[in-house]
Amino acid sequence: MNTPRMKVRHALILIGCLLVTTSASAIVADAQPKADGAAITAQPGSATTTPVVTLANEKTTVAVSSEAYTKPKAKKPSTADHSKFSELDKDFKTGPEVTKACLECHTEAAKQVHNTKHWTWEYLNPVTKQKLGKKSIINNFCTAVTSNQTFCSACHVGYGWSDDSFDFTSEANVDCIACHDTTGSYKKIPGLSGHPNYEKMEWPPHSGKFREAVDLKKIAQNIGKTSRQTCGACHFYGGGGNAVKHGDLDSSLTNPKRYLDVHMESDGLNFTCGDCHVSDSHEVSGSRYAPTATDDEGALIRGKRNGRNPTTCVACHGNTPHPGNTTITAKLNAHTDKLACQTCHIPEFARGALATKMSWDWSTAGKLDEKGQRIIEKASNGRVSYDSKKGHFTYDRYVIPEYVWFNGNVKYTLFGEKVEGDKVNINTFLGSADDPDSRIWPVKVFRGKQPYDVGNETLAVFHTAGKDDSAFWGNYDWDKALEWGMREAGMKYSGEKKFVETEMSWPITHMVAPKEDAMRCEQCHTENGRLQAIDGIYMPGRNNTPLVDKIGFTLALLALLGVLIHGGIRYLMSKRG
Amino acid sequence: MIKTIVGFIAGIALVAVIAVTSAQSLMFNITPSPYGVEETAARIQANIQSPEMAAHGWKLSGLRDPSRAVASAGSNVLPVLLVEACSTNYSGPLLKANANRIFSILMPCTITVFKNDDGKTYIGTMNSGLMGKLFGISDIMDQVAADQEAFLTFDPDKPAPPLIKIRPGGGGAGGTDVGGC
Repeated sequence: MNTPRMKVRHALILIGCLLVTTSASAIVADAQPKADGAAITAQPGSATTTPVVTLANEKTTVAVSSEAYTKPKAKKPSTADHSKFSELDKDFKTGPEVTKACLECHTEAAKQVHNTKHWTWEYLNPVTKQKLGKKSIINNFCTAVTSNQTFCSACHVGYGWSDDSFDFTSEANVDCIACHDTTGSYKKIPGLSGHPNYEKMEWPPHSGKFREAVDLKKIAQNIGKTSRQTCGACHFYGGGGNAVKHGDLDSSLTNPKRYLDVHMESDGLNFTCGDCHVSDSHEVSGSRYAPTATDDEGALIRGKRNGRNPTTCVACHGNTPHPGNTTITAKLNAHTDKLACQTCHIPEFARGALATKMSWDWSTAGKLDEKGQRIIEKASNGRVSYDSKKGHFTYDRYVIPEYVWFNGNVKYTLFGEKVEGDKVNINTFLGSADDPDSRIWPVKVFRGKQPYDVGNETLAVFHTAGKDDSAFWGNYDWDKALEWGMREAGMKYSGEKKFVETEMSWPITHMVAPKEDAMRCEQCHTENGRLQAIDGIYMPGRNNTPLVDKIGFTLALLALLGVLIHGGIRYLMSKRG
Repeated sequence: MIKTIVGFIAGIALVAVIAVTSAQSLMFNITPSPYGVEETAARIQANIQSPEMAAHGWKLSGLRDPSRAVASAGSNVLPVLLVEACSTNYSGPLLKANANRIFSILMPCTITVFKNDDGKTYIGTMNSGLMGKLFGISDIMDQVAADQEAFLTFDPDKPAPPLIKIRPGGGGAGGTDVGGC
């Protein structure tokens, strides 16, 4: 049966199939869009080689592999040794005294800071026209800055913000040290209106632990560039504690290993926050109030000022970030028209040592033990799961993100806005499959239950912390706290409250995993996969079309029948001789 | 004759296919947990340390985190915790007979708690009852299986216990706490 002639036929068929497959690969790869005016060459067989790039215009695309970029590890000395400046050789009593000394040389620095969101805590969204920023929005963590400035301003780049009378035009009130300390000893304590402790004090309260008075002279003489530590002093602790708010930012990024973040790995590329969040006149790029969901403009030369956001992945890695000329890399690059890089390359967040807070139920706050004392309970992972001051929390590590279409615009439910129902979306990421500026993004959805003013039909602002008798953390009296908070926010508390469920989404963009840990095809291209909730697109493996399936099965069945009939006839014919 | 041989081969092939496809579900039990990975592991530990189980000789032998080991090597896997426990009530009789000493390879009893890509937590246990039947030690393994079931019975009214980060081995090699086996 298996004659030499048939063997030759089979071999020819096999070779033919291989030729078709390889040709198809080459055709698909060639069909992928290439950078306009850019010629990219790389050493054959090496994925780690720096691509040689010829730049012809602004839209040039360069794929920068992480291996190709080697940042010098040794710290280069500054051209100025601040310990030699007589202006800083003083026994400073307060932060503003240090600022005045800084401004003697850096004459424009405070004016620049005054124009930044870090100072104003305000942002006007040009698309939605909503007035955003920490000063304006309400969230489902500690909920609002209003009436709580004394505490919240521990993360303000200023000194003395305790109420509405704060002078936002004062240059001396700018806190230079918060971002430029290199000693690691500068800490702004909540409750001190943005000041550090100038005298030895117990912190946290009633803990028996004491913080020495801040040594301003030492800090001023060791001033330097921003670092993961200085940025992290606030951004890792957003929402009232370590790993609470963002999910992709916590103190494990201060000195991260490779598995946690390939860019920030302290033994590797060792990026600081400022390496991506390039600042210009003290305005730091990459704010979540003005996110860039889609960037198809290719690599951006560092330092070039053309209004583009330099923090995007594309700004370094280009439009075709997966190097090579294979079917697989071509297919991966083709995915960038629908997917944000983060979707595949940050498969989970909160991958560090700490679980991130996933929910916060204010409705259970205020319970005391039989002695009238505050109750604190801990979860199995050691994190606080109940606190009389705050209610119940849940946490999780290696959290699978939720995924949404996102075009860079976020609509907020602002304070004073009437909302109905028992569930409120504090923010909504805008975008859709039909929108060419939309990409599928991973988000942390933080779920809460927080006070709602029934009479005003708005989310309620309440006075959380303070030494007065209306602060909830002091007296556990919701009505008093709400009355104060609403008044400070410019409304009168109706006297009737309830707790409503809220959701707030946070884009996931840090904790970039090593490339070998990126999402695999089958994690999305399957029923009940990661992108199950994404609508508006057809995804092979996830979606099916009954008619196509029927046609396919019918063809397969007919082919099988054909083979059987053909084989049967040949068998019978061979029996007949 | 040919028909018999073909039938015999087909039978072997069928059995092989069934064995391969159902081996996992026969050898291991996987059940979803209503809690996160750490809390699930902590609740299992608490159950193992309950007076009822302590009366059966059970002690915690260790808690392993293979996902952290992978992280130290520079990569990521979803969380996995291995809760290890052992009981001399069961290990003692098994280790006495020469023919059974090989089963020390199953000690300590390991329960795995892991998160999957759907974000849910699962508990994996060995099918001790089946193992006992397969290897002729069902008198002991049936009891292990019953206790194992008790480990996985959670009381939602009880607060989350702390995770006990006991070193694998439980200090068993000469330590005061011998970790059950």
